[in-house]
Amino acid sequence: MGLKSRTVMVIGAGIAGIQASLDLAEMGLDVHLVEETPTIGGRMPQLDKTFPTNDCSMCILAPKMSECARHDNITIHINSQIDSVIGNPGDFTAKIIEKAKYVDPEKCVSCGLCEEKCPVKIDDEFDEGLRTRGAISRYFLQSIPAEYTIDEENCLYLTKGVCQLCEKVCPADAINYEDEDKKIELNVGAVIVSTGIDPFDPIGFGHFGYHKFENVVTSLDFERMLSASGPMGGHVVRASDKKEPKSIAFIQCVGSRDESIDHNYCSSACCMFAIKEATIAKEHIKDLSPSIFYMDIRAFGKDFDKYYEKAKDTYNVDFVKSKVSEITEENNGDLKLRYVLENGDVKFKTFDMVVLSIGLQPRKNVPKLADKLDIKLNEYGFIRSDKFNPLQTTRKGIYVCGTANEPKDIPESVISSSGAVAEALKYLRLDRQELEEKKNAVPQIDETGDRPRVGTFVCHCGINIAGVVDVKNVAEESAKLPNVEHSEDLMYACSQDCMNTIKKRIKEHNLNRVVVAACTPRTHEPLFRETISEAGLNPYLFEMANIRDQCSWAHMDEPEKATEKSKDLVNMGVAKARNITSLDRLPIEINPKSLVIGAGLAGMTTALSIAESGHEVFLIEKENELGGNMRKIFYNFGNDPQVKLQDMIKKISDNELIHLYKNTEISEISGYIGNFKTKIIDKDTNKDKFLEHGAVIVATGANEHKTKEYCYGESDRIITQVEFEKMLHEGAFPKQKLKNVVMIQCVGSREKERMYCSRVCCTKSIKNALTLKEKFPNVNIYVAYRDIRTYGFREKYYTQLRDKGAMFINYDVDNKPDVKIVDEFDPDSKVNVTVFDPIMDKEVEVEADLLVLAAAIDAPEENNDLAKMLKISLNTDGMFLEAHVKLRPVDFATEGIFVAGLAHHPKDMDETIAQSKAAASRAMTFLNKKAILAEGTIAEINTARCTGCGYCEEVCAYKAIEVDPEEEVAVINDALCKGCGACVASCRCGALDLRGFSNEQLFAAFDSLEMTDILINN
Amino acid sequence: MNKISEKGALIKKVSGYQTAILDFFQDLFEKNIFDAVMLPMKIPSGDSFAWIMIKDKKILNNAQPLAPIMPVNAAKALKRYTRKGKGTLKIAALMKPCEIRATVELTKLNQVNLDDVTLFSYDCVGAIPMQDYIADPKTGDEKFEKMLSENNLNHNDVKPVCKICDNFSLSATDLHFGFNADKLFLVTNSKKGENLLQKLDLKAETDLQKWQKAIDEKKKKRVKKREETFKTVKTKVEGFSKLTETFADCIGCHNCQSSCPICYCRQCYFDTSAAKPNSDVVLMRAKDRGATSLPLDRIMFHTGRMAHMSLSCVSCGLCSDACPVNIPVAKIFSYVAAQTQETFEYSAGASVGDALPMKEYKLNELGELGEMVKSAEAQEGEHE
Repeated sequence: MGLKSRTVMVIGAGIAGIQASLDLAEMGLDVHLVEETPTIGGRMPQLDKTFPTNDCSMCILAPKMSECARHDNITIHINSQIDSVIGNPGDFTAKIIEKAKYVDPEKCVSCGLCEEKCPVKIDDEFDEGLRTRGAISRYFLQSIPAEYTIDEENCLYLTKGVCQLCEKVCPADAINYEDEDKKIELNVGAVIVSTGIDPFDPIGFGHFGYHKFENVVTSLDFERMLSASGPMGGHVVRASDKKEPKSIAFIQCVGSRDESIDHNYCSSACCMFAIKEATIAKEHIKDLSPSIFYMDIRAFGKDFDKYYEKAKDTYNVDFVKSKVSEITEENNGDLKLRYVLENGDVKFKTFDMVVLSIGLQPRKNVPKLADKLDIKLNEYGFIRSDKFNPLQTTRKGIYVCGTANEPKDIPESVISSSGAVAEALKYLRLDRQELEEKKNAVPQIDETGDRPRVGTFVCHCGINIAGVVDVKNVAEESAKLPNVEHSEDLMYACSQDCMNTIKKRIKEHNLNRVVVAACTPRTHEPLFRETISEAGLNPYLFEMANIRDQCSWAHMDEPEKATEKSKDLVNMGVAKARNITSLDRLPIEINPKSLVIGAGLAGMTTALSIAESGHEVFLIEKENELGGNMRKIFYNFGNDPQVKLQDMIKKISDNELIHLYKNTEISEISGYIGNFKTKIIDKDTNKDKFLEHGAVIVATGANEHKTKEYCYGESDRIITQVEFEKMLHEGAFPKQKLKNVVMIQCVGSREKERMYCSRVCCTKSIKNALTLKEKFPNVNIYVAYRDIRTYGFREKYYTQLRDKGAMFINYDVDNKPDVKIVDEFDPDSKVNVTVFDPIMDKEVEVEADLLVLAAAIDAPEENNDLAKMLKISLNTDGMFLEAHVKLRPVDFATEGIFVAGLAHHPKDMDETIAQSKAAASRAMTFLNKKAILAEGTIAEINTARCTGCGYCEEVCAYKAIEVDPEEEVAVINDALCKGCGACVASCRCGALDLRGFSNEQLFAAFDSLEMTDILINN
Repeated sequence: MNKISEKGALIKKVSGYQTAILDFFQDLFEKNIFDAVMLPMKIPSGDSFAWIMIKDKKILNNAQPLAPIMPVNAAKALKRYTRKGKGTLKIAALMKPCEIRATVELTKLNQVNLDDVTLFSYDCVGAIPMQDYIADPKTGDEKFEKMLSENNLNHNDVKPVCKICDNFSLSATDLHFGFNADKLFLVTNSKKGENLLQKLDLKAETDLQKWQKAIDEKKKKRVKKREETFKTVKTKVEGFSKLTETFADCIGCHNCQSSCPICYCRQCYFDTSAAKPNSDVVLMRAKDRGATSLPLDRIMFHTGRMAHMSLSCVSCGLCSDACPVNIPVAKIFSYVAAQTQETFEYSAGASVGDALPMKEYKLNELGELGEMVKSAEAQEGEHE
């Protein structure tokens, strides 16, 4: 099949859509990112912090957003909707409607004057109605694109023909009331749907009083209240009397796990969301008493249980297992909760505030979109996909990721996005890319040996800077600085016309260094670097002085001092600029082959996915058979894992690009991204062999925990769930008729040595129990559990098993079930299980024919060796530690290495498949290039000064620096260095320097300050 | 792993501590336990001391284990022998507790190798300032011997940093000589130390409670004194103008850096041309401001050194001894070091096992800084 298309349409620009777009764009494909709202970013920008690391949500998302906006291969269509998608995979014709924005994005400078003057005030969607916005507005401060848009439904001029104030105040002449909807037709090879979710609207739940009682808010409202950039500046007060709440109740499962509203699924994220909000609120208000009213705490993700325990122990969050039936408001605005405990007791408690932990539901317009795309929805109204094809919709060539097909947390969304990209590649033409060549590149001027000729440009940023700082004066003063050949002030330095001015001045004055005094390099440095390179300067011949954040914002009440400080910052910028030089980015050649370690479900999926995209794979398996843990899984709610497994094994043996090494061990791995070298040993012959490859995928899996608890190993009637599944499959039950089967959950999980949830055991036990019920409908099943964690759509099976009469008994970790073999001398003796049942409020004793233990998932000890060989890290549980738990869940901090499956954390088969495809896709982002460029700003060493003390080696997170034992000096691997500067800071000898931030340059900047001059200053 | 014994082994003492300790090392030689001993010895001119590595038993007689001054920090001396890794000799080295601390820091930085070294320390009475001693060695010796015999830890004639030192006794050593009520006893502080005691057939039977109590009381006084001193230092260095004023006398000789045991660099960054601005920049600046003072790098040098060294500063006070213009460098460094080390919950030289602050990441570190950020954020919130 000759594939032609190199274009993909991604629908929905939340974190999932952004990740998918970036992956595709990095592979050299063209992306059309279609978004319904006026900005990309989705839900994440609304969040204050993200669990379990408490990272600021916007801080981790913003770089991805701006990367998305800047990428040559990504076209963003905001305010846009899908009209139709016709045709076949590989050759779809998509029609989209881009709604009129009424503001010319080429002209708009985002100064905000228009919104200030707009007489219309509407509840702001981004801040959940906690503040108002104008009819012309920017979705939020860091929205991308940054330009304003007019909301035609509310604009006075567009609806009633009056006003036009925005047009009058706009300094850039950007308002265009004549703007019209545009119809755009795209030819795309594949479509990825990442439309996300809507938060559940609790307005219909009258008994909770949302919108009726002022002090009842949703978890999303509360998130905006907590956010430092939110309408309350992070200072939480309740609406009724603007007082700080001293007690807050969080009510879980509002709109989740609720059959009465057809939401018989778990929203997966809200438990952690509430725990996070409770602890962050406690950090804001020290004497706060937060309580969480829950059915089960579902902290099933990586490091979630540790976070949960910390909330209990350190933050004293009160967890109340109960159901809240009603909330009433007292005269002073306090809220009285009526709730029912497990044993049926009805209790009342009064709180200052109530937060409803609202669930996730399909987006309102999903049925319409599904119709246009001709894809089907599932029973809950989410986009339908299946267990073994979790990213595939019902129409070929159209894929789904993020929360559009099942509620999930951010990392799973990111994983599914990269996974969907791997799927989409089936219908796309991938050409291996040459080293990136900029479009219309300008030949670079060589500045070496020339006297520095600095140009300084001071930005007004509308009134953002100029409202406080005397920008003209700063520009005039900077003209007097040594080597400054040109200086001027610009209204908006980042606007297109000002960029052109900068380029013109470079030519006119023969400038070879540029200093821009404006906002922050974090967002704008790449833009200016690109601008000066368009004028023939090396992009590193650029310096930025942040006179917005550090002067006009920080000292808004002291304009004179702010101006003086601005001058100092510009002075320092110029002093540093005089000392900067061109930097080269060295090319690193990429070997397109990859090494996949482990041939279980994860390794096989990754290997197939990479091979199907046309690259060779070495697949290494330590055992003689393929399949790993999957060999022991026989059931999956109507899907047959063994059929799937045999199918994959066949595909692997048929694929010429996959080189399979069974019964093989790895003894050595060296090298770096694009250039790894691995020594493998055949365990039979003991012969070794070297493989060369560009990427490594760690898919080494995990083991079932061998427990010593509950008399395991002392009787054939005490078995693990894995053993039980085999028994169910083979029919090898004990001889007598089964009457009572007891299951104990969390065996080894969620305790001291293993403070994590093994995630799959609840669902697995329920699955096995249902299978047993099918075979023996009259058998009694007792499940002793701590929290049932059937997240997402797995909830359905929990309901099914309860409906079939299984008894669920909640036990406490400090009062575990007691197990006794009835007759120790009888090898076939039954087993007595005693457990305290909180519902009946007494001990229950069961004579079990079978006791089935849900044993934890353990990280293999061999992980240690592999981690050392690959220079990657493990977490405290011995699982491989990804680069970032939220946004880089497949990558490692060391480039070129990825993780998939149980090696990362316990997970279900659909999640493993998604992550394995994601690993393939992440590897493809650079395997598809002939070479990549190393960073320009990397560390360098002056060996004459190095004492070889090794401090730098230990602080380097990327393993890019090592002490040569012979020479006793540190050696830097340019390809691995990320330029973070940690080694430079640690070096006491000043032997290390960061290119572009050298000691000399920084000293020059510091030294240029008049205050450092002892005599002159005093 | 440090293993502090609860009891000490009494050492035979006929006359003073000096002789008793010397006898002890003589005995070690007799028993062939060590190949060499590192001790201070008076130089022939009689006005200073040098560290010597003694292999010859006869020469050992001329050594003076407890020196009244500290011309070179023992850690620096030991570095010369072990910089290239463990040597061929088994060495016993006796030093002051601050020298032990410097040795520990240098060990962590791979500049000293302790594999074949057994460290001894002793209850330090402090050191006399170099300039005072050189001016009148005879009086210096007399004063020091008096301090030793009286075991007077609050003597006025010692260096300013010694007066505020609360780490003058048992440190991260293998064995420690305790002085109490005219008695001399040996306390073990490591497995190595214990083994040696066994080899020497010495029994740890002396109760240490009295000694420890005395030390603790002295420590308390020192801590109090230190707090007072730091208050004064603070007024001299807080704020940029005060800092420049205090260091205005600096002649840029960099003696403080070359005497510092922790400054282990091959070549100091501040001695290179990279740390000096271009001539045209200086001229341009002079033109711009009307004048510019030269040289420009004094403050950079001292703050730079603080940034590099304060986390490992052991307050040995050599820098002050070395300063020809009497800037209280040692007190200032000690003051800054106390704060930077507290920030990282680190104590320089306390134990070889403690990771250098930047080498490890603790989940809840920089608490105070975190609080500062939070309170700033809260204020900002109110402001808005």
